[in-house]
Amino acid sequence: MRQLILELQPETPPGLDNFVAGSNGEVLTGIAAWLEPGNREPSLFLWGESGAGKTHLLRASGGLYCDGAADPDLSFLGENPEETCPLHAIDNVEALSPAGQIALFNLFNRQRATGKRLLTAASRPPQQLVLREDLRTRLGSGLIYRLQPLTDAEKIDALMAQATARGLRLPQEALDYLLLRAPRDMRSLSALIAALDRYSLEHKRAITLPLLREVLHGPDLNPTP
Amino acid sequence: MSSFWISCLSQFEKELPPQQFNTWIRPLRLEGEDDFANGLRLYAPNGFILKWVKERYLSRIEELGSAYFSAPVSVTLMLGERSAAPAPVLAAAKPMAATPAPVPASAHSPYAAPASLTPEKPVEKTLPHYEKTRLIPGFTFENLIVGKANDLARAASVQVAMNPGGAAYNPMFIYGGAGLGKTHLIHAIGNRIVEQNPGKVVRYVHAEDYYSDVVRAYQTKSFDAFKRYYRSLDVLLLDDVQFFNGKNRTQEEFFFVFNALIESRKQIVISCDTYPKDISGLEDRLITRFDWGLTVQIEPPEIEMRVAILKKKAELENVALDDEVAFYIAKHLRSNVRELEGALKKVLAFASFHGRKIDLELAKEALKDLIGAVNRQITVENIQKTVADYFKIKVADLYSKKRTRQIARPRQVAMWLAKNLTSQSYPAIGEAFGGRDHTTVLHAVRTIETLRTKDNELNHDVHVLLQVLKG
Repeated sequence: MRQLILELQPETPPGLDNFVAGSNGEVLTGIAAWLEPGNREPSLFLWGESGAGKTHLLRASGGLYCDGAADPDLSFLGENPEETCPLHAIDNVEALSPAGQIALFNLFNRQRATGKRLLTAASRPPQQLVLREDLRTRLGSGLIYRLQPLTDAEKIDALMAQATARGLRLPQEALDYLLLRAPRDMRSLSALIAALDRYSLEHKRAITLPLLREVLHGPDLNPTP
Repeated sequence: MSSFWISCLSQFEKELPPQQFNTWIRPLRLEGEDDFANGLRLYAPNGFILKWVKERYLSRIEELGSAYFSAPVSVTLMLGERSAAPAPVLAAAKPMAATPAPVPASAHSPYAAPASLTPEKPVEKTLPHYEKTRLIPGFTFENLIVGKANDLARAASVQVAMNPGGAAYNPMFIYGGAGLGKTHLIHAIGNRIVEQNPGKVVRYVHAEDYYSDVVRAYQTKSFDAFKRYYRSLDVLLLDDVQFFNGKNRTQEEFFFVFNALIESRKQIVISCDTYPKDISGLEDRLITRFDWGLTVQIEPPEIEMRVAILKKKAELENVALDDEVAFYIAKHLRSNVRELEGALKKVLAFASFHGRKIDLELAKEALKDLIGAVNRQITVENIQKTVADYFKIKVADLYSKKRTRQIARPRQVAMWLAKNLTSQSYPAIGEAFGGRDHTTVLHAVRTIETLRTKDNELNHDVHVLLQVLKG
């Protein structure tokens, strides 16, 4: 059996319009309003557990994305620290190194002073972040939104919608099976739908429980996200 | 603007979400259309935008160009604003300039987030001024809330602003914790001096930026220009001097600047997060000098002052805040003004989204995640630990093969909690409980769900555990 890779690049890039809001309507409209050119608030901070959609929204913002977990020193700012762009989106700020925290502190000040914006995300609210106090309080001074993970029912709705968009017919039993056996965060589930789509096309078979089992329990498959 | 570029912009506006368009495409400027056979030049205001456009949009621009001119067109991306019309270049960075009649965000969208609470209107009014002084115009004495915590510091700052360079207050050293308004105060000094003495050369510099200047001077061997610049200032406002920690070359350079300015009776104002003697990694000769003039402290604001700050900030947003609500927020966010401001923004955004009146109940709801909540990251491990503690069994029992009621029931409760409080899959939860099958987890979840409706004691246990875990 061929190996299927779960972490597929989604086919449509993350946007505000393809974000599955669930109970996060306030966050979604809050970000959209904040991104309007007339808004004067320099900072927006998102928090929520992994899989809640922080990275999706950061990427959807149109800002220059950087993941603090992948680049803890924010070294991408290094060459020209005085140069900034209209919107920076920094993910996983709790993972920043001491040097990265200073870089973000400077970025925050510069964005604010020049009328530009900073979008940041972490797994906890600013009050609970273990960061430099001057940075932590700055992150806590702007708009703060919590992202709630989707409920199972919301996930089923979202998966149905994604499947329909791909022209896939997902029987209810397949959905139930997915939620029971697969990782339950939206990113993995969406990647699974894409994998299922591809697999069913390659093998010219409709999506049935046996096919789902093959995809999920393929010998080389690593089901963790 | 060239006609090709106008059509190109309108095409991108159709193809891209507005936020992408505004951020990446609008700031660009095109030149060379008259002589397109020799290639078009596209100017990006900075390296980030240049790189981004090159990677994502350049081929599309060339494609549109070829279609427009009916001939292959090459586009070269360059840095810089070049020539006249700066408006389109800065449009994205100058939000106000892009919209003819600026409407507060909250006015055109029912769920709009509130605009910035600081009264500053950056950029358009300030750019030329800002470039020279780096002063933020919104930070003034007039809009600084005064209370016991900062009235001495404010009074001294006003004195310095009236008589910069006076020996008794030079240098002036302001210290206090994060988010108490040090930066506001030193900008206010600078703004007042510029207002009263337009001829004075005032410069605000954050210690980190001063350090970058030293590094740049070092790299480009331009120390002479660096020294000349800093010694030519009438007023130097240095923010967050604790950032000099361990930066020896920077400290040395600053030592000379400091001496030169003080000798020629030029004003220096320094802010710091601690008392001079407590700054770590700073040379003694600097520390003693910081104490030459006047040292003032800003303390955390007392509750009355926090309430006053909230009311003032709400007023700036044209919102009337009840005492009850202001006291509620002020009571729960004690340590600094910044987070107080963040909490107020949260309340305003929440009220605006739900279309509700701002009252105590709403404030509580809006801030429930920010105030007092434990909000620990909930993992299967801490569920197991909490459940084991609660039922007074060992965590190891939860993984074990034991099936006595005394162990099995807590295990089922823990599995139910893991299912409801984490995104783990049933197989992953089974794995975390000693490699059990996912059907065991499924059975546990169903059992607890049924039992909760019948067994009050168990329902109580689950309820308490949920409270403990969710904070």
